[in-house]
Amino acid sequence: MAYKPQYGPGTSIVAENRRKQMNPNQKLEKVRSVTDEDIVLILGHRAPGSAYPTAHPPLAEQQEPDCPMRKLVKPTDGAKAGDRVRYIQFADSMFNAPCQPYQRTYTEMYRFRGIDPGTLSGRQIVECRERDLEKYAKDLVETELLDPARTGIRGATVHGHSLRLAEDGMMFDMLQRNVLGEDGVVKYVKNQIGEPLDRAVSIGKPLDEKWLKAHTTIFHSLVGTAYRDDTEYIEYVQRIHSLRTKYGFMPKEE
Amino acid sequence: MTNATFPQVRIVPIRMLKPETAERLLNMLAGTAGIRRMMIHGPGLPRLVPYGPARGSPNPHSDRKAIRVADAEIALRVQVGTVVLEVEDTSTIEEIRSLCDDFFVEFPYLLQEGRFMKSAPTLVDYAKYGPDADRSLVGLTDPRSGEKPVFIRPDQ
Repeated sequence: MAYKPQYGPGTSIVAENRRKQMNPNQKLEKVRSVTDEDIVLILGHRAPGSAYPTAHPPLAEQQEPDCPMRKLVKPTDGAKAGDRVRYIQFADSMFNAPCQPYQRTYTEMYRFRGIDPGTLSGRQIVECRERDLEKYAKDLVETELLDPARTGIRGATVHGHSLRLAEDGMMFDMLQRNVLGEDGVVKYVKNQIGEPLDRAVSIGKPLDEKWLKAHTTIFHSLVGTAYRDDTEYIEYVQRIHSLRTKYGFMPKEE
Repeated sequence: MTNATFPQVRIVPIRMLKPETAERLLNMLAGTAGIRRMMIHGPGLPRLVPYGPARGSPNPHSDRKAIRVADAEIALRVQVGTVVLEVEDTSTIEEIRSLCDDFFVEFPYLLQEGRFMKSAPTLVDYAKYGPDADRSLVGLTDPRSGEKPVFIRPDQ
């Protein structure tokens, strides 16, 4: 029988959402539309419309060593063109944000090629070749992985994940990169490292509380689904914890 | 920070406050008799970008502005997260509780009793203010910021 990945344990809606995001065969729901130029502006790595700066000549122009691995692995578009490696970083509020750092990394590893994610407690960064990054960033911003209020695109000064929300429901941002306008639409007024943009970039209205609760991948006993309510998840995590602890003593199977 | 131990309370709203809401809350508290000292806590809103490639460039933020409490002007440097109060006696706490019950209608809040203010000067306080510092003012501001506490006189 062919191997069929399970992606993760659990019976709760949170576990279900985690599996859904990780499974590359499952199409993520597109909830907003952002132009390529807007993505480039938020990322702040190059001016919109300018050529991609390169780190090395295109692969077609340089002599590649005779390597079986290079024959096996096809380069991504960015690698083929010799693009620089650039990044996008997200901070996710623990108040029912649709994604969270570990989940982001799992999701990206299953869905994207040629990436180098870095996972921290409240933020997650993913690095890859610039033109691949723009393509992936568009997916990450346009789909259900992002909520304009509870998710922040923050290259630096990311503090906000574990803080209380502001009165208007926005996650705290020391640099106020995104603001909730009077029309209810969230606009980025600074790029991800905090430099003011020439024009505000709109990324749509914040999703409502009901939607967030149904689509979140974070357990939260006060505002969402409590971790202890998912007994299957607890059982699995306890099993892993127990096994890895016992392995420290090098047990022998009887 | 005086020898007598006065009761202290902390107002913790479930959402962090906008400057306008904080101004209304503080004005309401300023009108209450029996509050000795008051401190605003929350995550900082720096004037310049502190880290990253844009470090040192200006950081415009709509919540970093001056608010007016009674006769005094307070330049907010933080997003108001909690308000710590030192009161004369426990009857004032009940008064604060009833005022806050009416004030926080859109989202809940917690009123916690305990010790929230500095009870002894630290080495940094000693280095900054010297041995003859007014002990009732120590601990109200960050000694590294160089800012002084604001005096509020609600009667004037």
